[in-house]
Amino acid sequence: MGKIIAVHSYKGGTGKTLFSVNLAAAYARQDKKVCVLDMDFRAPSLHSIYGLDGSEYWLNDYLNGACEINKVLIDYTSQCKCDGTMFIGLANPTTEALRDMSSKDRKWEMRALGRLLSLKHALLNDMELDYLLFDTSPGLQYSSINAIVSADLVLVVSTMDASDIQGTKRMTHELYDLFEKKTGILMNKVPIEFLATPVERESVYKRFENTHTLPVLKVIPCYCDVLRAGGTKIFTRDEPKHPFSKHVEEIATKIERI
Amino acid sequence: MSKSLGKNPTVLLDKIRKSLDKLNEKMEVFIELQKQERKQDFVMQDLPEALDVMTLLSLPDHLRKTAVTICKLGRATAEEVAEQTKRARAVESGYLNQLVLMGYLKKERKGRKAYFFVEK
Repeated sequence: MGKIIAVHSYKGGTGKTLFSVNLAAAYARQDKKVCVLDMDFRAPSLHSIYGLDGSEYWLNDYLNGACEINKVLIDYTSQCKCDGTMFIGLANPTTEALRDMSSKDRKWEMRALGRLLSLKHALLNDMELDYLLFDTSPGLQYSSINAIVSADLVLVVSTMDASDIQGTKRMTHELYDLFEKKTGILMNKVPIEFLATPVERESVYKRFENTHTLPVLKVIPCYCDVLRAGGTKIFTRDEPKHPFSKHVEEIATKIERI
Repeated sequence: MSKSLGKNPTVLLDKIRKSLDKLNEKMEVFIELQKQERKQDFVMQDLPEALDVMTLLSLPDHLRKTAVTICKLGRATAEEVAEQTKRARAVESGYLNQLVLMGYLKKERKGRKAYFFVEK
């Protein structure tokens, strides 16, 4: 059976969406059947990254119980430059939809959790997906926690920012542990000079693993190329030989073994 | 023995077993409630009914595990929950009944089986 991965972080701007789309493309290149869902209903971004206008229905509609998930998914296979299959599920980026999603009550959130949990059957069993990725919003929010509860594995993206590291540690004890989730850390935007030699790299890994008391799947240097692309490029698809793409491919392989 | 139980002893024994099952379930709830009263963990009248993720986070660990399992299964017996949580059926039955009393789960009997579910 496939895996559901929630990509989460304590703070915004850590690289959740970057890893969600690049991991999805890396799996699709490996002939896998993959789907990425935009679960950041406060600040949707997948429509912009993939250059899509939307489908007949949004993920918002699925969570509202207005349609089934197959009405939301967009088949992106022909554009993914891959051997596999790729589907995208978009969140509605209009201001009206953002306002609507931020005013939901607890009963609605409870039903939304039920709808998300049922994706395991609909997408992993019926559609035989290998990977379903949830690109979540940062911090402790309903949509993110719903996604985390529904996932098999949580990938937490953190930077070296002290408040980010502290917040990530707190979420480990007060969120991921409480739901008994398998969790892995991705340290992103680490200054390249910290990783110059194998000894320094090992010391950085050990330091982060001791801090987080969780496996650090990868420490990724800060690449100016990635910053320069400004979210307009999916590196594992457009530049598979770029060092950043190699890091993502290694993460993809590590996840397969979890 | 069979004479004293009448013409159909198996029917009578089955009735006794059912009654004992019910009694056992009530005892489990009673024991759990007493434990919780001692701990003063909950104030029943203040509790909301929605079993959303924030409520799940606020539950004690042992009940959260049971509640999350019911959310995943949708509708299940104590035995089915126990299979997932790897805890004893009687333990899960106690926790499930406690969640019913707290207003988070509903319970429905069908024949000998009791099904627990989240009312949506």
